[in-house]
Amino acid sequence: MKHPHCLTLALPALLSAALLSGCASSGVKNPSGVPVTEMNADERGFVTGTGVESQDLVAVSDKMARSILAIPQIANASGIPMVVLEPVVNDTRFPINKDIFLTRIRVLLNSKAQGKVTFLARDRMEALQKERQLKQSGQVTTTSDPNVVEFKGADFFLTGTLQGMTTRAEAGVSDYVLYSFQLIDARTSAIVWEDFAEIKKQGLEDAAYR
Amino acid sequence: MMRLGPPAVRSPASAATPATTPVAADVRRRSQTVLRKIRSAPTFATSLAFLLTLTSLCGCALTKYHVPPPTGDPLVDGQNAIDFGPPKDRVLWDYRTGLAAMHFFKSGAAVPYFEDALTRVEGVFQYDRSARQSRRMFSEEAKKTFIGEPYERVMAYYYRGILYWMNGEPDNARACFRSGQVHDSDTGEHQYASDYVLLDYLDGLATAKLGGDGSDAFKRAKEHARGPSPPPLDPAANLLVFVDFGPGPRKYATGEYGEELRFQERPTDLRGARITINGRTTVMPIYDDLYFQATTRGGRVMDHILGNKAVFKTATSVAGDAAIISGAILAAGDHNTEVGLGLIAAGALAKIISASTRPNADTRMWDNLPRYLTFASLRVPAGEYQATVEFLGVGNVIYGNLTKRLTVRIPESAADRVIYVSDQSIIHNAL
Repeated sequence: MKHPHCLTLALPALLSAALLSGCASSGVKNPSGVPVTEMNADERGFVTGTGVESQDLVAVSDKMARSILAIPQIANASGIPMVVLEPVVNDTRFPINKDIFLTRIRVLLNSKAQGKVTFLARDRMEALQKERQLKQSGQVTTTSDPNVVEFKGADFFLTGTLQGMTTRAEAGVSDYVLYSFQLIDARTSAIVWEDFAEIKKQGLEDAAYR
Repeated sequence: MMRLGPPAVRSPASAATPATTPVAADVRRRSQTVLRKIRSAPTFATSLAFLLTLTSLCGCALTKYHVPPPTGDPLVDGQNAIDFGPPKDRVLWDYRTGLAAMHFFKSGAAVPYFEDALTRVEGVFQYDRSARQSRRMFSEEAKKTFIGEPYERVMAYYYRGILYWMNGEPDNARACFRSGQVHDSDTGEHQYASDYVLLDYLDGLATAKLGGDGSDAFKRAKEHARGPSPPPLDPAANLLVFVDFGPGPRKYATGEYGEELRFQERPTDLRGARITINGRTTVMPIYDDLYFQATTRGGRVMDHILGNKAVFKTATSVAGDAAIISGAILAAGDHNTEVGLGLIAAGALAKIISASTRPNADTRMWDNLPRYLTFASLRVPAGEYQATVEFLGVGNVIYGNLTKRLTVRIPESAADRVIYVSDQSIIHNAL
């Protein structure tokens, strides 16, 4: 009996399929990793990019700016409070541009507060002192008496701390970051305002990297 | 007279040549039948075409990256490799070039390399097509984007932390040291998780300098110390000296198909270092050993995948051999020739598949890493000093050819002065 050609054609294909059906990744959980979603701090899940990212900065600074504007020391102040930015302390495992948080809060307050708050550029004091000395020595012109001390003193300090907690296991990496900000009375050291935001992220890398 | 030698194959229509023996005649007849069927059967053409197609598809990676020839300058060669080499090796060249810049005392030049590398390392949770492909049967592990084994990632954070501290950012430096410990925490051997002495010690020191309590981190550092215990934290120290020496571990592949990643210890007689500055000599013992870190990480998930590939490679090769042999036997018969030919084709396919399977482990490595890490924190009055860093062997023998002499300026301000010196450091620069 003559075997049909389809059998001789099919046989190599069938054998190929059988041979190729094995998977090198068999027995490996989530070999391709897990896609990204953002989560609340009290939720469980899997996310990628567990560090401090731009959307965290936006969310945190928006929240802080709204919160500051509502406090009586700002909203009902008799004069215009003078605020100095103190550098944020990074106590997480993620190296970050710490100043960016306060910069964004300051910009938001300046744009939304309509003059209710004034920020002092203490980070520029060296340049300002040099300019004052130039005016005092007559090397440059001035429209006011350069010998009068006009640099403003601070009424409040605005600062913050970033703290983190990390867990790493076979299931992946989880990072929690607590962003806390305070407005401190420069005269009494009292914390007149404090607020926080917290973000938790979780991720699992591709099996090729585990 | 009997004719010797193989019988000629003739057309059945040609004049018959007398067979020398009945057996030989029978073999000749069967061979002619098989060959006639092979040449005429559509199966042969189809299978041949299929095999040729597969062969052509199995094939070769076209070289599309043209890296300029080496100049001998590691910074230039590294940048060329980054600019013109395959993207999958970019992080590897970032590591190498960044550290080479530090060896040249060019910390400013080193920063962007480590920044680029660590940005990609932290992005490892994103979908990576190359990583997925590297897990497939016909792709080798080296196809994936290189980010390094854990000890290599840890060292990237270590050096980036040093650079942050040099720039007056001890909190960001601390963040790097902490990230380094996290990358060492996912180990198969849990007793060796997050066990770098210096990473915890520097975490504690930075915390103490920032006004916090570094005692927990210092306690962990002491617990992990396998040699001399690090000294108590001194927040008032204003000169931080990072030193490393010895050749780092070398990766190699073993196993039948090179599917097992191993680390080779490269011998060295160096056992420590010491720094002399302002008339005072401080001995710097070994706190961390990268060969120990590399070999105590335990098994990788990728080892399991490569093991599966190796098993598959062997299985398909054996199956291919069996199919070819049995197919040849059947094809030589009168009744199952076509089945036999099919088996031969399938066997050949299996052999091609086996040959195309890539279980090779990835042996790309950060090859200018050191072996030993040490550190010292000193109190030095403001001013300019000549410092000497010497490398010591067994019995405190000084390896004079490795000695580095530096000019160190200690500032009036409260900022720490941070210096990094390696036995591989090349230029004697003022710092």
